[in-house]
Amino acid sequence: MAIAAKIIQQAGIPGQTDEARELAGSHIICEALVREGVTLLYGYPGGAIMPFYDALTSYPSLHHVLVRHEQAAAHAADGYARATGKVGVCVATSGPGATNLVTGLATAFMDSTPLVAITGQVARTFIGRDAFQETDVIGVTQPITKHNFLVRNASEIADVIHQAFRVALSGRPGPVLVDIPKDVQFEKAVYCPSDYVTSEQYMKALAEGAQRPADYLLAQAAQLLAQAEKPVIMAGHGVILSNAYNELQAFAEKTSIPVITTLLGQSSFSDTHPLHLGLPGMHGPAHVNRAISEADVIVGVGLRFDDRVTGKVSGFAPNARIIHIDIDPSEMHKVKIATVPIVADAKVALAALTEVVAPQDHSAWLKEIRSWQAVAEERSQSIERDDNLPDPVSILQGIYEATKGQAIIVSDVGQHQMWTARHYTWTRRNSHITSGGLGTMGFALPAAMGVKMGMPDDIVWAIAGDGGAQMNIQELATLQQEGVAIKYAIMNNGYLGMVRQWQQFFHARNYSETPISGPDYVKLADAYGVTGIRVKRREDIASAIKQAMETEGTVIVEFIIEPEANVYPMVAPGKAITDMIEE
Amino acid sequence: MTKITAPAERSGHSDVSRDVMQAYTLVVLVEDRLGAVDRVFSLFRRRRANMQTLVLGRCELPDVIRITVAVNDSEVGIDHLVEQLRKIIDVRKVAHFMAQQAITRELALIKVSRIEEHTRAIIELASLFGATVVDLTASTVTLEVSGSSEKIDKLVGQVQRYGIREIVRTGSVAMAYDAEDK
Repeated sequence: MAIAAKIIQQAGIPGQTDEARELAGSHIICEALVREGVTLLYGYPGGAIMPFYDALTSYPSLHHVLVRHEQAAAHAADGYARATGKVGVCVATSGPGATNLVTGLATAFMDSTPLVAITGQVARTFIGRDAFQETDVIGVTQPITKHNFLVRNASEIADVIHQAFRVALSGRPGPVLVDIPKDVQFEKAVYCPSDYVTSEQYMKALAEGAQRPADYLLAQAAQLLAQAEKPVIMAGHGVILSNAYNELQAFAEKTSIPVITTLLGQSSFSDTHPLHLGLPGMHGPAHVNRAISEADVIVGVGLRFDDRVTGKVSGFAPNARIIHIDIDPSEMHKVKIATVPIVADAKVALAALTEVVAPQDHSAWLKEIRSWQAVAEERSQSIERDDNLPDPVSILQGIYEATKGQAIIVSDVGQHQMWTARHYTWTRRNSHITSGGLGTMGFALPAAMGVKMGMPDDIVWAIAGDGGAQMNIQELATLQQEGVAIKYAIMNNGYLGMVRQWQQFFHARNYSETPISGPDYVKLADAYGVTGIRVKRREDIASAIKQAMETEGTVIVEFIIEPEANVYPMVAPGKAITDMIEE
Repeated sequence: MTKITAPAERSGHSDVSRDVMQAYTLVVLVEDRLGAVDRVFSLFRRRRANMQTLVLGRCELPDVIRITVAVNDSEVGIDHLVEQLRKIIDVRKVAHFMAQQAITRELALIKVSRIEEHTRAIIELASLFGATVVDLTASTVTLEVSGSSEKIDKLVGQVQRYGIREIVRTGSVAMAYDAEDK
């Protein structure tokens, strides 16, 4: 209630002309987007969204990027949102346009990314009558959006668009879809900007009203931590979403608790920090999983204890009490019972917790973990590799060295994704972007485009396998048309590698439908008007990366890697995370 | 391992195990908007919630639909379900209680076969349960009864011997007891 009162006071931006005007619905959409601070949108026109596209040319501040497939529009908006923290916007027509967004919306939903998708719909009189390009997109997207709206008349549009942005951003972020019938886009309504609360006003009021966690919870957490001998912090995507990097570091340093970063938590805490341990779960190094198994207290911040992190739940952290900080109350006790459930924004909660905890010293515990790590690393270095093919670790280290860790890395899904998470050194905040929850192949290229357009001054590398690279590869044309330059590493092993690895381990090497051929990427690059480089020898990695960085425009670097390289270690599905398959 | 004299797990909650299923009544108030009720139902579907009855109707607030669901779940499960329901934008309020914390009522119509010599007995039985005869034909007598589900179960059990042609039950609606009455 207090928030609402504050917003009412704030409504009406000084200096903004506040005349009530009569506008077509399509123009009201654009007005509301401009007022929300939108500058970039990704989309694809079609019959039911044509009035909007007609209005768009009157709003030069809205830069529309014509993607080559609507799925890519959603991923690009997703990448943009993850990199900038703003809401990503994508647009599609009704029917197939809208259903093509579905995978992208589901990806954003699983990874809590704020998106607003605007779809055209057939005219109101045709709805429910199987009209041309009619799909019940509200029904289709209901389980994969945070919320969705069907706009019933033009006078609702502005309010719905602003609401959509507020819903997308507030609490645990997520995608919101707004479905607007074609005749509503034509319909005229009176539009008066100051009648509506923008997400910026709302979020500001929300931040001012942000509640510190209850004192008794903080006291309980402090008490647990004071008695802990083997505590660990597990940091997830929530740290990045709430911009809680400093608070996490301050908390870790004051308590000297080692920090584990989940897949989406990579780059929330510097890999080079002495307290950093690494990735947990299915492909986490042994010492990280062992630390979890021996831990007596786990501080989980902004993570949801996903099954790829926990393995068999009963075998996960059997000795640990859990302090779980998450903004979403429905995450509490979902997988593991939290001894201290703290429903709060990570930034606020960590700052408050840092105040109440006493400084601690866990150097003996850290030393113990490091000793396990040393043994494993020695073992892995002793493994001889006889071929001279480029290997994933050298490729990732090469990219890290060439970019001094300042690039933003967007990975696809599969083996290379795990190698990237593990072997790149994450030192720059929010530099790791990937589809974690849904595991969407074909994410990297369009998402990298969104990242680059959101952060035009940064170097953006997309990394994919030869399977995922062939999904959404059409976006090379969009990059070319927009003059957007990314560097694109493709690790080509001629297999759908992660599935092949599972077949090797769990299906007696029955490589069913995993060998895959691809195009000649150098020629393909040429066909799209970008540059292609092929690397077949390990010693050429560094020079190829250098050449890619020095070449203007988008560059594809295809690395021919060992066909049956595996991601080690690996925890078999359904097994405890300490039960690992090692190289 | 360290000894920790720590707060109880899930402080403020009972220590009933995750495996113990109990009967709960959920009351969900949703905005009367397109797709709002859908969203609530699809959450039940997605969670494979063990629903016993489900009732949808109006309440004292305009533009609000009151959904009453009887569901069997664990305490942790029900807490999680409630939090997930609260995340649905169109959901205004969610309350949940166990049977003894609420007045629950259900309405049933029971069509019973009749032959002349049983008619009196059926009607007398019905009146014991506060049921009324709402229709009478040469071969059937239809009873209307309301009350707790258990009461209706009992009446059904009693008239079984005369031959039941058809039963319709509305499912339970519930209202929490006022705190001061307890």
